[in-house]
Amino acid sequence: MSEPQGSEGTTQRLPVIEKAPADEPAYGPAPSGHDGDQGRFWSARRIPAGIVALLVLAAAGLFLYDIAAVRAHRPAMAWRRELAHGLAERHLDDTWVLVGAGVAAVLGLWLLVLAVTPGLRGILPMRRTHADVRAGLHREAAAFVLRDRAMEVAGVQSVRVRVRRAHADVYAVSHFRELGDVRADLNATLDDAIRGLGLTHPPALSVHVRRPGRKR
Amino acid sequence: MLRIVNRVLIGIVGLALLLLGGSVLAVGLGAPPPSWWIHDGRHDVLLSDAERTRWQGSGWWWPTVIAALAVLVLLALWWLTAVLRRRRLSEVLVDTGDGEGALLRSRALEGVLASEAGELEGVAHARAHLTGRRTAPEARVQLLLEPHVDPGTALHELTTRALMHARNSAGLAAFPAEVRMKGVKHRAERVS
Repeated sequence: MSEPQGSEGTTQRLPVIEKAPADEPAYGPAPSGHDGDQGRFWSARRIPAGIVALLVLAAAGLFLYDIAAVRAHRPAMAWRRELAHGLAERHLDDTWVLVGAGVAAVLGLWLLVLAVTPGLRGILPMRRTHADVRAGLHREAAAFVLRDRAMEVAGVQSVRVRVRRAHADVYAVSHFRELGDVRADLNATLDDAIRGLGLTHPPALSVHVRRPGRKR
Repeated sequence: MLRIVNRVLIGIVGLALLLLGGSVLAVGLGAPPPSWWIHDGRHDVLLSDAERTRWQGSGWWWPTVIAALAVLVLLALWWLTAVLRRRRLSEVLVDTGDGEGALLRSRALEGVLASEAGELEGVAHARAHLTGRRTAPEARVQLLLEPHVDPGTALHELTTRALMHARNSAGLAAFPAEVRMKGVKHRAERVS
């Protein structure tokens, strides 16, 4: 960076950066204690927001167009007359009114839930190793790591791992060695592996080992 | 920012739907409404002609309705474009420390960051893009991890090497980053 690069044609001469930024402490140290405990990733809720915005835009635009048309002495569209008629005819204990109200209420509740919950349940937050860097690990990737570590244990023929937000369930099939030994080895190996994931809330491990062929 | 706007607006729409639907449902099923409520019993209609045309005689009614609808249309249009637009930083301002500055194309920094992250031990593929403001850029990095690497180790490597190099080379005081890691799909295998 100390030489001006004339790639864009006639740029003016760039000043040389004199202080070497590498001398500064690079990323702050890991925040200690509870500060390292960062929360979940929060989804931006783009898709529901886009759908709601589109529907609001369509409804408001249609009403605006029609009302403005009527103001300009053109006849109202048929749907608006039917809507006004329907609203004035239907009683509250009409089945369709009740169904519609129920649907609206459920939809509203769902939108409220979307608005206040973090979402992104598939991403497990990782411990902050540096103050500026937030990281998350997909649950699937965590399951891959645990499965591969479990396969290293002697006596393990096959493994199925399911990682949920607070639990990791490991189902192993062992074709030799004592089941108790295999289970102990698996526990030790996987405890290490879970520590290696570097999550803020390491999932609780439960290991199930069985012989091939026999069902649980 | 967009996240908060989205959530607040979704929440408002949801609350309105819930109150409207819930109240019609409750009154329709026989709950006694308070005296000031728009519906006064289960045999009332949703919106009578008298209620609908109540203020139509007043001079202010139609201008108010049209203005409110116009505001609603503009708001929805702004919201929709904000949601659809992918915010991506085009250039980063490099502070040279002597009162002048240089512009660095974001794509260049993104490319360097992604390729350096992709070369780290145990990283199969990396993508990076920059958001934020050009004086205070932020990075979003996606890593695809190979089976044998510990995610904690990979994160440490990424932070101390790729992210630090990018930060130092652009002369940034702070370079917040959000990292998401996925694993390469593969069959169960012994990795040792």
